[in-house]
Amino acid sequence: MARLDSIGQFEQLVLTAILTRREDAYGVTIHSKVEELASPKPVSLGAVYVTLDRLEDKGLVKSWLSDPTPERGGRAKRCYRLEALGERALEESAVTAKRIWDGIVEVWGKEWVRAQSKEWGKRLGKEAG
Amino acid sequence: MSARPSKAIQAIAAIFIPCACREEVLGDFEERCTSSLQYCRDAIVTVPLVILSRIRRTANPQLLLMHAFVLYLSFYGAAWFKSPELLYESWGRVRLAIPGAVTLLALVLEDAYAKPGYRSPLRLVRGPLLGFAWTILSQAAFRASHSSLTLPLWIVLYGGALGLLLTSALRMLFSPPSTSPQGPI
Repeated sequence: MARLDSIGQFEQLVLTAILTRREDAYGVTIHSKVEELASPKPVSLGAVYVTLDRLEDKGLVKSWLSDPTPERGGRAKRCYRLEALGERALEESAVTAKRIWDGIVEVWGKEWVRAQSKEWGKRLGKEAG
Repeated sequence: MSARPSKAIQAIAAIFIPCACREEVLGDFEERCTSSLQYCRDAIVTVPLVILSRIRRTANPQLLLMHAFVLYLSFYGAAWFKSPELLYESWGRVRLAIPGAVTLLALVLEDAYAKPGYRSPLRLVRGPLLGFAWTILSQAAFRASHSSLTLPLWIVLYGGALGLLLTSALRMLFSPPSTSPQGPI
């Protein structure tokens, strides 16, 4: 089995964006999903391109050019999908995140979780509204 | 979305975006475009990162180090033959490194902007030739502004020619990464 490099937080966001966009994962859609995931921090399109290149070099994602579309001035999209190694890396990140979450809950308690959930709910409501 | 940016702005952006990713990056810019101003802002913020990412993918540090070594050796050798007193002047050896650095920059950019998968003997020589041309131009520019940084013309010509030969030979022996399948094609 290929060696799995550790991945950073931004790489996790990009991999998650590719996973959730499925067949429609390309520059613009990946960027908008990453921005949504990283909210309220702004994310530049350039940072997403750099990370996509790095993930491709690591063998975590694969890219190909799609057919040109008129809304893009007749230009093709570069679509991305997760490779098996990318899925494994994301899985490991999710497991680690869960452990972090459990550790925090253990110390700060269920009250903190409830307060955070309310806070996130308010923030999401504001963004949607 | 999708207000159409002017052709001139698109053409300028296209010049700066490396060939390997021009199609999709320009397409993404167009899809995100709400106004010409926003298109320009997108291009100014994104294109430098795209170029750096492409350089990271195409530049091989070991090969670059070898190029730097042979280039410095070429100009050092030329100075040793034509005017050895330059080697003992203050900043003399640093001045000899400037043409090598300019050629190296040309080689890095040539590899970054090359068409991926396109392989020809001409491509291997094009980078060193471009580097030689840039060296002469940079020396002319320095002569106009900072004459203390220039080298005598003969050293530039001899060193440049030797550097051209050696870097071309190195590139033929160790093909630059952009000619390998690395990078999206």
